[in-house]
Formats: sequence, C-alpha cells, structure tokens
Amino acid sequence: MNDPKTPLKDPLLLDHEADGIQELDNNLPRWWVWLFYLTIVFSFAYLGYYHVAGSGDLQIAAYQKEMVRGNALKDAAQAQFEASLGSLEPSKDSALLARGGQVYQTYCAPCHRADGGGQVGPNLCDDYWIHGGTYGDNLRIIITGVPEKGMLTWKGVLTPADIQAVASYIQTLRGTSPPNPKMREDLAPATPAEVYE
Amino acid sequence: MKTETFHYDNRIVRAFAIATVIWGLVGMAAGLLAAVQLFWPEANLQLQYVTFGRLRPLHTNAVIFAFVGNGMFMGVYYSLQRLLKARMYSDRLSWINFWGWNAIIVGAAITLPLGFTTSKEYAELEWPVDVAITLVWVVFTLNLIGTILKRRERHLYVAVWFYIATAVTVAVLHVVNSLEVPAGAFKSYPIYAGVQDALVQWWYGHNAVAFFLTTPFLGLMYYFLPKAAQRPVFSYRLSIIHFWALIFLYIWAGPHHLLYTALPDWAQSLGMVFSVMLVAPSWGGMLNGLLTLRGAWDKVRQDPVLKFMVAAVTAYGMATLEGPMLSIKSVNSLSHYTDWTIGHVHSGALGWNGFIIFSMLYWLFPRLWNTRLHSVRLANWHFWIGLLGIMFYAIPMYWAGVTQGLMWKQFTPDGFLQYPNFLETVTQIVPMYRLRAIGGSLYLLGTVIGAYNLWRTAKSGVFEPDVEARAVIQDAPRQAEHGHRWIESKPVLFTALTTVAILIGGAVEIVPMYLIRTNVPTIASVKPYTPLEVLGRDLYIREGCVGCHSQMVRPFRSETERYGDYSKSGEFVFDHPFLWGSKRTGPDLQRQGGKYPDAWHYNHMEDPRSTSPGSIMPPYPWLLTRKLDTNALPARIAALRKVGVPYPPGYELGEAQAALAAQARAVVANLALGSITNAPPDTEIIGLIAYLQRLGTDIKAAPSAAAPVAAAIATP
Repeated sequence: MNDPKTPLKDPLLLDHEADGIQELDNNLPRWWVWLFYLTIVFSFAYLGYYHVAGSGDLQIAAYQKEMVRGNALKDAAQAQFEASLGSLEPSKDSALLARGGQVYQTYCAPCHRADGGGQVGPNLCDDYWIHGGTYGDNLRIIITGVPEKGMLTWKGVLTPADIQAVASYIQTLRGTSPPNPKMREDLAPATPAEVYE
Repeated sequence: MKTETFHYDNRIVRAFAIATVIWGLVGMAAGLLAAVQLFWPEANLQLQYVTFGRLRPLHTNAVIFAFVGNGMFMGVYYSLQRLLKARMYSDRLSWINFWGWNAIIVGAAITLPLGFTTSKEYAELEWPVDVAITLVWVVFTLNLIGTILKRRERHLYVAVWFYIATAVTVAVLHVVNSLEVPAGAFKSYPIYAGVQDALVQWWYGHNAVAFFLTTPFLGLMYYFLPKAAQRPVFSYRLSIIHFWALIFLYIWAGPHHLLYTALPDWAQSLGMVFSVMLVAPSWGGMLNGLLTLRGAWDKVRQDPVLKFMVAAVTAYGMATLEGPMLSIKSVNSLSHYTDWTIGHVHSGALGWNGFIIFSMLYWLFPRLWNTRLHSVRLANWHFWIGLLGIMFYAIPMYWAGVTQGLMWKQFTPDGFLQYPNFLETVTQIVPMYRLRAIGGSLYLLGTVIGAYNLWRTAKSGVFEPDVEARAVIQDAPRQAEHGHRWIESKPVLFTALTTVAILIGGAVEIVPMYLIRTNVPTIASVKPYTPLEVLGRDLYIREGCVGCHSQMVRPFRSETERYGDYSKSGEFVFDHPFLWGSKRTGPDLQRQGGKYPDAWHYNHMEDPRSTSPGSIMPPYPWLLTRKLDTNALPARIAALRKVGVPYPPGYELGEAQAALAAQARAVVANLALGSITNAPPDTEIIGLIAYLQRLGTDIKAAPSAAAPVAAAIATP
C-alpha cells in the first residue's frame, strides 16, 4: 500500500497494483515447499506399493484376514458354550435377569411382543411349546433358530452369556397371562405359507 | 495518456448483501431446528414438511447456495469491478443473476419440504430447478467474462483467477452431475447407476466444496484482506503456485468420500493420495493470507473486519489439514458415517465461509452507505459469540464421532461385537447432540446481532448506487512480458488453461469407470426392482431416509457381523440414484431385507419408539394414510428404462400395475400375520415395506458369489 507512514519502499515490492493492492515478491516458505514435495513422494510410494508392486493387502484381502482371526476366537467360545448346553440351569440372579430382559426387549419383543404374549412369533407365557419348553430347548431354539417359521438364529449374534440371560428371562414369563395373547398354533386357522421371503 | 470516467454498480452489491444476511438467518435457523430434532424428535412439529429427512437438505441448500452463494456474488460483484476498473459488463445480466438465483432458492425452499428431491447431496434440487441453475450460472459466467474483456486494467489480479476457476468448474460439475431423465414434473432418475452414480456424485460433491465454498472465497480473501489490512500481499509467487496446484489437484479428490465402499480400489487410492497432496496448496492460501498481516497485527486487535478474516483463514487452514487426514483410509475407517464428518464440515462452513462473509459484510456496509459501522462493540460481541458457537458445535461433534466410531468397532475378547445393538451407540452420544444445538444457537445469536448492527449501519448512512471512478488509459507502447505475467493479460488463454487443469482429474477417474467393465463385476441374481419396490424406493428418497441411513456395508468384520455381507459393486447396477448415504445416525440398511417381519416395519414407521425404545428416529404416520401414487408408475418405469433398467417394452402399460397390486396384497397378508389387520393395500407404507424387504437380498440367491462370510443374521 502507499502508506505515507512508511517512507522506505520495500525492496521486494513488485511494481504492479490492482485497485491499490500491491504484491511482494517473497520466496515460497521453504518448509511449505518441502511439505509439498513430501506429500507427492508419499503419494507415488503409496500407489506404487499397493497398485504397481501389489505388495499391500487391498481392502478385501485385509478383510478376509481379519475374518479368519476374529472367527477363530468366536468359534472357540461358541463351541465351548454349545458343549455345555445340557448342564445349564436357568439363572435366578436378578442382575442377570435384568440383562436378559434388556436383550429380550431389544431382539425378541419385535416378534414375541414386549410382554411375551406373541405377535408374529408365538406366545411365550403359556405352557404350549412348539419346539419343547425346557430351558435346554429354549437355548437350542435361540441358538439354531427355526428358519422355516421365521425364527432367526442368534448364534454368533448374541454372546453365550446373553443367550443364557435371555433364556433365563423367558423362563420368568412362564405362567404370566398377558392380555390378547397370540392364539396357539394348533388351534389357529391356517395362514399363507412362505410369507417371509 | 488520457483519463476515463465511469461508474461502479453498487446497487447489485447491496442486493446480494441484503439477501446474504436474510438467507443466513433462515438457513442457520433451519439447521438449528434439524439439530434439535436429533435429541427431541417431536421438534418436527408433527409436520412431514419439516421432518429431519426433508429439513436437512433444506438447511444445507439454504446455507450453501443461499447464504454463501449470495455472499460470494456480493463479494465478486464488488471486487471484480474495482479490480478490472470497469462496471459490470451488463446491468441486465447482473439483475437476472440476482433475481434468478434468489428465485431458485425460493424454489428450493418450496420443493424440498414437499419431498421433491434427487437425494444426491448438495444436488437435491429436481430437474426443473437444475435447468434454472444452469441458465443463471451461464448468465453469471457471461457477465464475468464480459467484464473481464472490457476491463481497463491490463492484468488479472489473483482474485480474478479464482473467480474464473469457480465459474468454469461449477458449470462443468453441475451439468455432468445433473444429467437425468425426467419422470414427471418434479421427479427424475440420474443416467448413472450405483458405483458410477456414486463416483460422479462425489466428484461433484467434493468439488462443490472446492469450487463453490473454497476458490471464490480465496479470491475474495485476496481482495478484502489486503484492503482491510492495507498491506501488500505476502507473495505473488506463492499465489501462482498454490492457485494452479489447488485447482488441478482438488478435482481428483472426490473418491475420498467413498473409501472402503464398493468403489474399485484404484479409484479410492487416487482419491486418498490427491487429498494428501492438497495439504500444501491449501495451506498456500492460508499462509499468503496470514503472512500478509505481518506488521498489521495491531489492526487485527481493533478491527472486527480483520478479526473475522483472521479467524476465517485460520479455520480454513485447520479444515484443509483435517480433510486430508480424514482421507487417509485408516482414519476414514473410524470417522466415516460418524459425526466427525459433521464437525469437520461445520468448522469449514461456520469458521471459514461464515466468518469471511461476516468480515466482508462489516467491511462493505459502511462503504456502501458512506458511513461508519454502527457499533464496533456489537461486532466484537458477534465475533466472540460466534467463535464460542463454533467451539460448542465442533468439539461435541468430534467427541460424538470418535465415541460412536470406536463403539461400532469394539469386539469382546471372545470375538463378539461389544455393542451389537446400534441404538446403544446412539443413546451414548445424545448428550453431545444437545451441546451441539447450544453451539448452533450461539452462532445464530451472533448472526442476529450482526444483522442488527448492519441494519443500523445502513440506516445511519446514505446509499450511493453509482460510484464514480477514473482510470488512466495508457498509450505508451507495452513492454514485452514473459511467463505468468503474460498469461495474466490473456483472459481467454487463462480460462482455457484453467478448464484443462480442472478436466483432467475428473476424466481420468470417471471415464474408465464406464469403459472398463471389470470395474463393476455383474452379479446374475441381481434383478431390477418390482413396480411396488420402485414406488417404495421413491418414498425412501422423498422422505430423505438416506440422510441418516447408509446402504453400504464396508468390508470390516465389525460391519459384516452387525449388518451382514459387505456390499458388492454389482449389487447396485439398477440403483438410479445410488443411496449409499454418508452418515449413519441410524443403522445401515443394505442388508435390511428379511431381517424383521413386515409388521415390525409398519409399527416402527408409525412410532419408532414402540419397537426401539430410546430411538431418535421421527415417526412417519402419514405413510400409513397417504395413498400410494400408482398413477406415477408408467412414467417412472419408462424413465428407468431410458436410463438403462431392462424392463420389457410395454411393461408399464398394465402388467406393472397388476404386479404391483399382487405384491401389495402379499404385504397386507404378511401384516395380518403380525396382528395388523386394518392396513389398506393402497397406502404408501405398503410400498416402503416392499422396498425395505427387498434391500440387499438379491445376492443371497447367488450360488457362492462371494467368499463365505458369516452373516449377522441368517437368511430366513
């Protein structure tokens, strides 16, 4: 600028101006230039490593390795749980039942209704059980599901601890009488098959 | 040597300035309402028109195109005339630009709440509005080029380079991304599908940030900052290098919005490395701005104009460092789909765009009205409240983003998801949503104070519509010039070089995605949507579901355990438009089909909290009563066929309606199984359920199309 308070002209001041705006001829900051070079070198190295040399795992290869590692852990825990199914008893521990109630409300209530009276899935409160009503039966059905009837498999989705908690919670629903329960399957009129595709 | 007298047009600058302030208030208020709905869904006032999915695009369009757009025109129309020593080429074009642009904004404010949307982010406006945008942009460009050609200044100053890059690139981006086939007055389908649509959209979306929110404002910074500081620009050489580097590199970076998606690896890697290379060119702008203030920092303490400018340039520097960091794949694997992105864009929008606009407004109002700023004290209050607002906005968003990203990825030692219930990761961060709304309120409060101050300033002065100016016409023979200085005196050549620079990156990425078939391997079992699903999908688009739900399962164990098999590019070949989304306020829906019974969806749409206690999703009761618009079906099937979906010829003439009715009856039967016996088959909810149950299921019919992967929930 033509600042009257600055009598000496900056030697770097260029001799052009636009609407009074002048420009200095300062060199590019060195660190800025090096930063730019560094990012360019990195970019070529990255593309070379992954796409020219093919040395790094692209995303699907990396994913498959991750799956092998994770599934090994999970399968071991699941196998141990399934081996012990026969010896398990429903828990009466209130903290565990509270956890089971939470799991039930999140995953089971959408089909079996919040009070267990049944909606898409059957009533869980009466003594009529399509696939057996013991604690062991409950655990087994939760784990394997009944695909042809729309009951999902929860194996691998819920942890063994959560499956035990929710099965224990379901045992506590037995004998309650929620209003408007779903009709027993053996008494209900026939419904169209294969509706949940 | 002789002098020529002429007049600058200040009237057009005033018009854009007033529009900037008004739309700023409107756009920010819309954003605040949207923010409040994220912890208090009832704040939609039980109106479909202002429910989050429709309100979000209204907010983004209002702040980007109305507030920032008018602010850009304001600054360009003021500075361009002075930098070129010429009145605008045509007053008529100036006013067509003003009224056309603002009519488009009013059009957006009407059509978006009504649900007319393409669903493509920052390009939501439907085809008639797209045509209008094109025309108005051509008018602006003609006016810009015309003024340049009749200039009285031989060389183009750096600000004008940035204006040229803006005009050219926005035109290219808008036209290419808006190629669509109409299927009604306010409905269209893009000619691109799936992966290609995603690539074109984010080439556009990223460069809308680059060439609408960045380059014009760098140009404006180069005018208003040295003007206000009364200091020469730090380095002419830096201007040259960072201008060309920035516009050339920026255009390549779009795929960083699609990292770890079904986009081919090579395109993702290009997007990442070009983002990393953008750090230095972006910082070149920041450095040239901040270093221009050497010797003038005492003025920054006193002058609100410089205070806002310095904060804006600093925010620009931070956002342009953060952006490349977020583009590094491993960082992106954590940040993507979370509120981190929201924090990032708002540090740019509120800090850089907002503050630089306030800086210009405080500089311009006293000059336009030949007076002094009404109150420096109030302007300082605006500054500090605004800055506090940005802090209260950004920090909770970063906190929420990192928290939720880590929760999504957390496994137990046994290899199970620690937080298998998505909702649990949402309720955890709701307190951050409350804090964010406080931040937004503060920022809006600052703007209100600013608007009052500017209004009082204008009232105290006298507006001068035409300002007399003089230019000296040089008769002396010109000295020979070389290099860049020579190019600066050749606007046509300059524009041509700019165009080449911005076309290369897009062409290298987009063209092979079309021509090389291996980029999108087809999957035989993937079929077009049924007629009912087409209408259902259009409802999904209308309600803006894509604003909160992605349809893209990334190849991470934490995602495939939660949602099911990762997404393949071949699954989206009939998706016009793609609906991958960019934010997960709710869970991914790509593998939603068959996960829950139809009745669950019915209850969930009527009242999300009946099936998912604590959910922050708004209820959609109108879907249960509004009639499905089956009359629209023939036009939609025909339009989809035109863009390449293989419906047989004549399918829409009768067969399609019969198929629609049959599928609707099946959905009603399913609902009856779930104790919903009163659902009429001709309501919108039926179409939406049909679409949701189809999502991601085609691939399950494929004989081992992909590596066997344990799906989170087995196929029923």
